[in-house]
Amino acid sequence: MDTLAHLLHLSPATAWIVVKVLLAFGIPMALGPILTWGERRGSAMIQDRIGPNRVALFGKIRIMGLLQPLADGLKFFFKEDLRPAGANKVLFWLAPALAFIPAMLGLAVIPLGRDFVSGGETFHFSLLDPGNGMGMLLPMAVGAMAVYGVLVAAWSSNNKWSILGGMRASAQMVSYEIGLGLAVLAIFMATGGYDPHQIVAEQAKGWFIWRQPLGFFVFFVCMFAEANRLPFDFAEGESEIVSGFHTEYGSMKFGLMGLTEYVHIIGASALIVTLYLGGWRLPMMADQTQLPVLLTFAVFLAKLIAVSFVFIWVRWTLPRFRYDQLMNLGWKKLLPISMANLLVIAYLMKGR
Amino acid sequence: MAAAHKVVVKKAELSWLDRLYVVSVAKGMGITFAHFLKQIATPTRKRYTIQYPDMKKEMPKGYRGLHELKRFEDGAIKCVACFMCQEACPARCISIEAEEFSELTYTQGFEEKRPAKFKIDMLRCIYCGMCEEACPKDAIWLRNDYELAAYDRLSMAFGKWDLINTYADQDGKATLTAETESPTTPRRTVAL
Ligand code: SF4
Ligand code: SF4
Repeated sequence: MDTLAHLLHLSPATAWIVVKVLLAFGIPMALGPILTWGERRGSAMIQDRIGPNRVALFGKIRIMGLLQPLADGLKFFFKEDLRPAGANKVLFWLAPALAFIPAMLGLAVIPLGRDFVSGGETFHFSLLDPGNGMGMLLPMAVGAMAVYGVLVAAWSSNNKWSILGGMRASAQMVSYEIGLGLAVLAIFMATGGYDPHQIVAEQAKGWFIWRQPLGFFVFFVCMFAEANRLPFDFAEGESEIVSGFHTEYGSMKFGLMGLTEYVHIIGASALIVTLYLGGWRLPMMADQTQLPVLLTFAVFLAKLIAVSFVFIWVRWTLPRFRYDQLMNLGWKKLLPISMANLLVIAYLMKGR
Repeated sequence: MAAAHKVVVKKAELSWLDRLYVVSVAKGMGITFAHFLKQIATPTRKRYTIQYPDMKKEMPKGYRGLHELKRFEDGAIKCVACFMCQEACPARCISIEAEEFSELTYTQGFEEKRPAKFKIDMLRCIYCGMCEEACPKDAIWLRNDYELAAYDRLSMAFGKWDLINTYADQDGKATLTAETESPTTPRRTVAL
């Protein structure tokens, strides 16, 4: 840490902030495109196909088509940037950013690795240090902001399909938020605080996936709805409303919308890992405060990628829900389950 | 049967286990993951997908692709210009001009007729194989080649020279040059 700071002519604290900013924004930025590749290759493997494998570096090195996202991105930049007549110009331009920025902010409070002491100072491995007063509320609040991106995009395109998709998606996201909140509340109760560092520390006693399996189930399902992923991808729908809320988008604006979906997956995976899968902790190890910092970071990344894969895996397994089924599931099943989970946890904690 | 069938469609009742979703979802995820692992473990060569320009499909026996006019060992054309194939062709894409000739060779027996021009318009051909069926001399065969594409119409009109030569050595016989010059522009020159 000190040598790096010295090289950059910065104080260790400032250098650490630079590193953290790079990580917190670099991880979604880098993993997002890789996830698009993973989705296409993964779906291909699941369906006994091969998937994109022909894009090659200098026309020679194929590396399993890993450069496909790069080629796609390049293509997006060279596409004509259309704005439909009658679209609200300002909002139409603003919507991709409105969708993308909240998605990017999700990782800000997540501890990416173990805190460590260097030169008498404690460094926290999350962009915002613990005790900032926002804790877990930030990703939840910012995640809820994602509705605006979808809705503004839908509204401003002046397109009936878009608005239908936007309305459906926002109704879905709002109704799943409640079950989600109640599930997280149980965790806050068990932890006695809502700071992600505290939550990860609490999981030294056992990951919350084992201690609150019902809560995990509800949270996991709700996260699919929040990230607008299949089986709950009501923002889009080829057969009903064309491309849904981004029907009118083209060029890099569409690219950004597409990337947002994957950044959402990463954000959702990070939340799941932090809340239920023990964050950067290795399983079955009591004292983990002495592990190498980079190892804890690697563990976190590995968990993140594994959960992201589950998102992809589920998408290519399950058929979509119908809209009424979706609402049924959200309000009549997940909400009561989530509530019951909260009450049971509360009852079990009564004696303490 | 005259009486109309009455089809009763019963809505599938989901058991309580299915309605919990969890079990059936887990089952489905298991299936897809098995496929995922299987496909990843399979080497590219053995996957279902044939990556076309790099890999080519082995056509089954009896596949009807591009025609070939067969020849005897000494290079003389087997076709006797009997017009059977032209008559049989449902697409009317064969056009033959016959000529007489007198250099009798041993292999060719005592035929006195051969095609001066033999043209098949590959754009109109439907690869039905009727010409092959009709030929009394087994002189016209449909082969396995399926890569029939060109940049213009002219190069898809195969002349006698094309039909004799281009694919002659693929079944093990030595390539022999036709005794006559190509009556049409050779396909390859036009195409490239
Ligand atoms: S394959 Fe059929 S269509 Fe083609 S030339 Fe022979 S008879 Fe005519
Ligand atoms: S190819 Fe066969 S059927 Fe056609 S003209 Fe020649 S000998 Fe007759």
